[in-house]
Amino acid sequence: MLMPKRVKYRKTHRGRMKGKESRGVTLDFGDYGLQALQPCWMTSRQIEAARRAVVRFVKRGGKLWIRVFPDHSVTIKGAETRMGGGKGAPDHWGAVIKPGRVLFEIGGVKEETAREAMRLAAYKLPIKTQFISKTEAQ
Amino acid sequence: MAEEFLLTAEPRTIRGKQVGAMRRAGSIPAILYGSHIQTPLPLKLEEKTLKLVIAKAGHNRLIKLTVDTGAPRLVLTREVQRNSLTGRIVHVDFQEVSMTEKITTPVPLVLVGISPAVTRGEGLLIHGINTVEIRVLPTDLIPEIEVDVTVLESLNQSLFVKDLKVGDKIEILTPADEMVAKVVPVKEEVIAVEAPVAAAEVEVIKKGKIEEEGAEGEAPAAGGEAKEAKKEEKK
Repeated sequence: MLMPKRVKYRKTHRGRMKGKESRGVTLDFGDYGLQALQPCWMTSRQIEAARRAVVRFVKRGGKLWIRVFPDHSVTIKGAETRMGGGKGAPDHWGAVIKPGRVLFEIGGVKEETAREAMRLAAYKLPIKTQFISKTEAQ
Repeated sequence: MAEEFLLTAEPRTIRGKQVGAMRRAGSIPAILYGSHIQTPLPLKLEEKTLKLVIAKAGHNRLIKLTVDTGAPRLVLTREVQRNSLTGRIVHVDFQEVSMTEKITTPVPLVLVGISPAVTRGEGLLIHGINTVEIRVLPTDLIPEIEVDVTVLESLNQSLFVKDLKVGDKIEILTPADEMVAKVVPVKEEVIAVEAPVAAAEVEVIKKGKIEEEGAEGEAPAAGGEAKEAKKEEKK
């Protein structure tokens, strides 16, 4: 699963996910991709599950690029804990996703294969997504 | 005979946030500029035609743009702003060109043929850059540069910008060592079951590289320990 090797601070503020993404919104590596249509915190587990779904379907052939990285630590307070007493312990890592962000890119496969692989990947994600291709973008 | 692209535009007086209403009515704001135009000219164009022309002409075909009832001007599409979610055109920049002055424009690269390594099932063709920046006279503009990938016979072989074959009239501005296409070995990824790593186990970068800097760094570290001890006492 994706996670940072070293961090400056163990716990991060939650931040806000207002508006649309302005960077990482175009296909830069592959011919087809999956674009987010909603904001979310995408956990490393979800990214890994989507990656596996693509790899399992494509088998040999095709190259996958993951365009998001979970660098946001998510803390959880223990069960049955009273409020207060500081921030909870780091539990998992997430990537902050805003609408427009390209999540995955795939190259070296036919459009039908890419479309199906991205459909399977989308089932593993907590948000609505859309399939995009280089030809449509021009 | 090269295909001719025609567009008609009207001068635009609506500026700023009010162009939203104009877009909803089916017109797209644009701007026309050039070295021979004193002040840039704001325009509006019909979305349907503009979309078709831009899809065909791209950034490297000359378009005949008629503004109002004036004579047609030869223009190039520069920046095309799009909505990142819907792909709808938001704004277009046109630059008027002079047929005697050289212009800089991006030209798409089209990969032609199939690499033998791909045919054998050993490799996968990956493209690098999709366009190259060229400097050329408007009369010598080309719609695309074809790249023959059949020369990529073995794995890990690459084609670079320096390998592109263009005429003497075209000067390529993109660095010669940029990769255009490469055949990479096909790898079947093994989906291994990893042991989950706890989020808390990630290394935290300490302030000011304490160990390497020696005495300077020791003082804050010692202070930090003292603070932690105090906290524990309070609890």
